[in-house]
Amino acid sequence: MDTGQCVHCGLCLPSCPTYVETGLEGESPRGRIFLLQRLHDDPSMLNAVTTEYLDDCLDCRACEAVCPAHVPTGHLVEEWRAETPRRGAEGDSPALGGFRGLSRPLSFFLGSPKGLLWLQRLARWSQWPVLGPWITRLRFVPQPARYLVRGIPQKIPKTLSRYRTLPSLEGSRTPVLLFVGCVMDTIYADTNHHTEDLLALAGTDVVLPLEQRCCGALHMHGGDPAVTKSWAKENIQAFETSGASVIVVNAAGCGTTLKEYAALFDLADPWHARAQRFEAAVVDATVFLSQCSLPTLADSSDVHITVHDPCHLAHAQGIRQEPRTLLKRAGYALQEMAESDLCCGSAGIYNLTHPDMAKKLLDRKISHIPKTVAWVAAANPGCLMQIQSRLCEDPKGPGAVHPLDLVWNAYRQAGLIHPNPDGLVSR
Amino acid sequence: MRQQNWLEDLKKIVGVRNVLTDPMALLPYSYDGYTLVESTPRAVVLPQSRDEVAAVVKILARAEIPFLARGAGTSLSGGATALEGAVILHLSRMNHILEIDVENEVVVVEPGVVNVHITKAVEPYGYFYAPDPSSQQACTIGGNFAENSGGPHCLKYGVTVNHIVAAEVVTVDGDVVMLGNLAGEIDGPDWLGLLIGSEGTLVIATKLWLRLTKQPASSQTILALFDEVDEASRAVSAIVAAGIIPAALEMMDQLAIDAVERGPYPVGYPADLRAVLLIEVDGERHEVLETAREVEEILHSHRVREVRLARTSEEKTRWWANRKTAFGAMGLISPQYYVQDGVIPRSQLPEALARIAAIAKRYDIRIANVFHAGDGNLHPLLLYDGRDPQMVQRVIQAGSDILAVCVELGGSITGEHGVGIEKIEDMRRQFGEGDLKAQAAVKTAWDSEGLLNPGKLLPTAPRCHETGSGPVKRD
Repeated sequence: MDTGQCVHCGLCLPSCPTYVETGLEGESPRGRIFLLQRLHDDPSMLNAVTTEYLDDCLDCRACEAVCPAHVPTGHLVEEWRAETPRRGAEGDSPALGGFRGLSRPLSFFLGSPKGLLWLQRLARWSQWPVLGPWITRLRFVPQPARYLVRGIPQKIPKTLSRYRTLPSLEGSRTPVLLFVGCVMDTIYADTNHHTEDLLALAGTDVVLPLEQRCCGALHMHGGDPAVTKSWAKENIQAFETSGASVIVVNAAGCGTTLKEYAALFDLADPWHARAQRFEAAVVDATVFLSQCSLPTLADSSDVHITVHDPCHLAHAQGIRQEPRTLLKRAGYALQEMAESDLCCGSAGIYNLTHPDMAKKLLDRKISHIPKTVAWVAAANPGCLMQIQSRLCEDPKGPGAVHPLDLVWNAYRQAGLIHPNPDGLVSR
Repeated sequence: MRQQNWLEDLKKIVGVRNVLTDPMALLPYSYDGYTLVESTPRAVVLPQSRDEVAAVVKILARAEIPFLARGAGTSLSGGATALEGAVILHLSRMNHILEIDVENEVVVVEPGVVNVHITKAVEPYGYFYAPDPSSQQACTIGGNFAENSGGPHCLKYGVTVNHIVAAEVVTVDGDVVMLGNLAGEIDGPDWLGLLIGSEGTLVIATKLWLRLTKQPASSQTILALFDEVDEASRAVSAIVAAGIIPAALEMMDQLAIDAVERGPYPVGYPADLRAVLLIEVDGERHEVLETAREVEEILHSHRVREVRLARTSEEKTRWWANRKTAFGAMGLISPQYYVQDGVIPRSQLPEALARIAAIAKRYDIRIANVFHAGDGNLHPLLLYDGRDPQMVQRVIQAGSDILAVCVELGGSITGEHGVGIEKIEDMRRQFGEGDLKAQAAVKTAWDSEGLLNPGKLLPTAPRCHETGSGPVKRD
């Protein structure tokens, strides 16, 4: 583990959500790097406090984005999590234990279309009057999920987004592969359809290989990279056989993980080069669409939007302007919120494993949402669920929604997109 | 009278969770931005209000335990590192902007507020907070108060002492004292001026009234790319000699450029460049255009390779981000660095830089230079590897030699980073016996037991009897 580049300048401190919230040096990136260095020299120093500090890292990458020396704090903490059991820790922290308990059910639900259909069903049933509370009390469902499910959309589709037949556009170029994800494929399947419609509106052919898998981000953050690695191979294969030249992804967390696939494999491993080609093809949907010539719509300045910058979009991928560009082009008026790029507390399944810190960060996020906006746009399913789980308490207040849903809706109202019963888009 | 149960008393004041004693919780506090000395505090307390600070101070003073305040811990001279078993009061949670008083052009803040957050908060009103240390994205205003911090734009706008009009401070006895006034006029002896820059050795600030500065109507940022360090230095003197007062006038040499170009905000400097000047002029629009043209003329008469004018605010922001992350970017070319802060008369720049280069050669170390050229405030960055004890010794010696050069050329050992632990012995180089005695008398008057931030600034300060873990030189 090379933490050597850290010169202790401290510029990372205010970017770190856990430092901002606790004010503790040990809960800052610089503090974590310092502890990792000492643990590296003497693993016996590990105690409950150290585990808590290291484990509280959201892996939001905000510190990596501002570090003058490119210290990969988030990656180093991930690496530490993966190595900890082998080092014989004095027992997992509740959070790390929480993740380990979730790892297996997650592998089942996210690992195959069959599992995803079950996830979708459970999510749908969780909204039923009697069945709902029972489902959220199942043994493998962590307690904070009871709160979180309030954040899922009212209407969850009955099938996966990947089971949609898309027409081929006449004379179009090489198709793009839409990476459908896991939560996006099930709970936010409509957003995937909207993305396809927008891509079609921009004159792009889309392919949806059924063989694609969850990106493996959650396992990666939780210190179980072996699962991520095996799913990465399936995704790389699906891409190679798809004939697509570009992989479009509309979930920030997935995009970041997909763009870091090569690091999963040794340089000598032939998969490394394949992963590199895969990585190079990954483009966030907002970036791809903002470069297309989607029509500019007249201002409908009565609908105000505020943008929440998902960590894995803004910090990990450096994408901030594109969602705003698309929203403005679609006629929306933007009203910025303070700390728009400070983590909302979702952070993968951090809100399930660290409910206290996640709640504090959510409180902070909600307090920054301007009172006059109709929607909070966030291009990541985790953030959407987390923020909506609180916004739903006020039916008259704003809702959390993916920016592409808003953009799609604007073009539909303008008569440029006509979804028909088959889900086909006519232009 | 020593109190045995001071820890329990502290917990009663701030709550159990806000008193840290676990060795692994204390470990990350063992140094700040200055990494040559490591020393773990005896405990860390996180008060959240003035009353809590005062109560904590009373308990510690009664127990004769030394203590100090810490903000973001970005000090470059060890100001926020606890020596002699001191307890740290970490003010990170006292981070609220309390009032923006546009009418009086004053903003009222708690000490833990991050410097740049103040400018962000007052921007909508057409103001900014002028002192802008390079660490402004992280450093806190309480630390700026303690160190009398400067920054690139202090060339025109002045340093922290020129921008704090009033302060509420807690003395070593736990008394709360209010100094200064909203008008910013000095009434009676300038106590505030004395406390600002006293490096946390006299009081702890708990609330500050800061002067707001009107945003200039217009500004122009200029990059001047040079093939010779000498020519760049002469151009600096020539610009100031021509009667121009730029808002900022910064210089970086080849090694520094190499580091920042690998960092998060590369500008695209040619690799063979020997020096770059970053110049900003501001004021009324016509005045800015005129001055920028004059500056360009001077640059061209000093064999500049290329002059670039920032065309957009994004470009300007990037150029500044590139410059302001220079210290941290040293991590990309060296495991550690030791930055100095000597000041020399501007006219001596070429001489000083030549002598620093000679010192680097003599001690066989690499030295990068990033500095506020306009006011002759040098920042030689001495690169080293802490795992090589001989190299550490060479670096410490070279640093001391550089300070000797600064004093010899008619300058000072510190411009803005403070004396701290780092230059405490060099104070003897700068001041005579009588000066030091007078300074110690001031310290004694405020803190007779030597409890506040011991081991910093004054080599002859009263010492507390309590000696916990002393400073450990890295080896």
